[in-house]
Amino acid sequence: MAAFDFRQAKEIRDVFGKHAVSYLFIGKSGALLLGYPDTTQDADVFVKRTEENCEALLDALLELGFTFTDSQAAEVRRGKDFIQLQNGPFDLDLVFAPDGIERFEDAWSRHVDVEGFPVCHIDDIIASKQAANRQRDRESLPRLRAFREYWLETRGKRG
Amino acid sequence: MSKARLGAEGIPAEWLADFEAAARRPLELRMRYAFVRTYRPVLDDARFRAFDTMEDYRRWCEAHLPSWLGYGRV
Repeated sequence: MAAFDFRQAKEIRDVFGKHAVSYLFIGKSGALLLGYPDTTQDADVFVKRTEENCEALLDALLELGFTFTDSQAAEVRRGKDFIQLQNGPFDLDLVFAPDGIERFEDAWSRHVDVEGFPVCHIDDIIASKQAANRQRDRESLPRLRAFREYWLETRGKRG
Repeated sequence: MSKARLGAEGIPAEWLADFEAAARRPLELRMRYAFVRTYRPVLDDARFRAFDTMEDYRRWCEAHLPSWLGYGRV
């Protein structure tokens, strides 16, 4: 499978939008959308866990080309805390309860729109990685915090 | 590493140069540079995984993934 690309990111944006899925890009893929220069493999989306939204999410994923058994579809409908998808055109992590963020509505109220992509605020991305406290997060946090400084200072100057 | 003054804490000059270079690139190009495909042992060996809680997911990573992937908690 080729690496995730801009066309696929736009497909997520457009198809999730069509199905009115409430979601935010989070994690490193979210930081990348904000302008953080780094590399990653897959996209992570923080999805609002309501019955209606999970149903819309499942419909959107099916339209994107993901395939599910009945039991897998049921797990998406339930909005399990973390779902790793490698059963479609690209890899996608669904996060319904990211570490360090209390409620989807809180993150949504702070979110940033990047060319139509809904993205968690850099503070929420950092809070999530800080709370997860994995080795890989520990290593990336100093640079991510430096990017936060840069982003906060320059975002008003960008178009 | 030298520090450029930007923000209260200052940012290492090398990182600042990276941030400024990225800011000059259009989003499509930034994403082309950002997403790379590598094989991650075990993690990439299943087409679907679901975890009831993030704690379950973290424990699974710690129990099953090679430590050098960095998914273990500190």
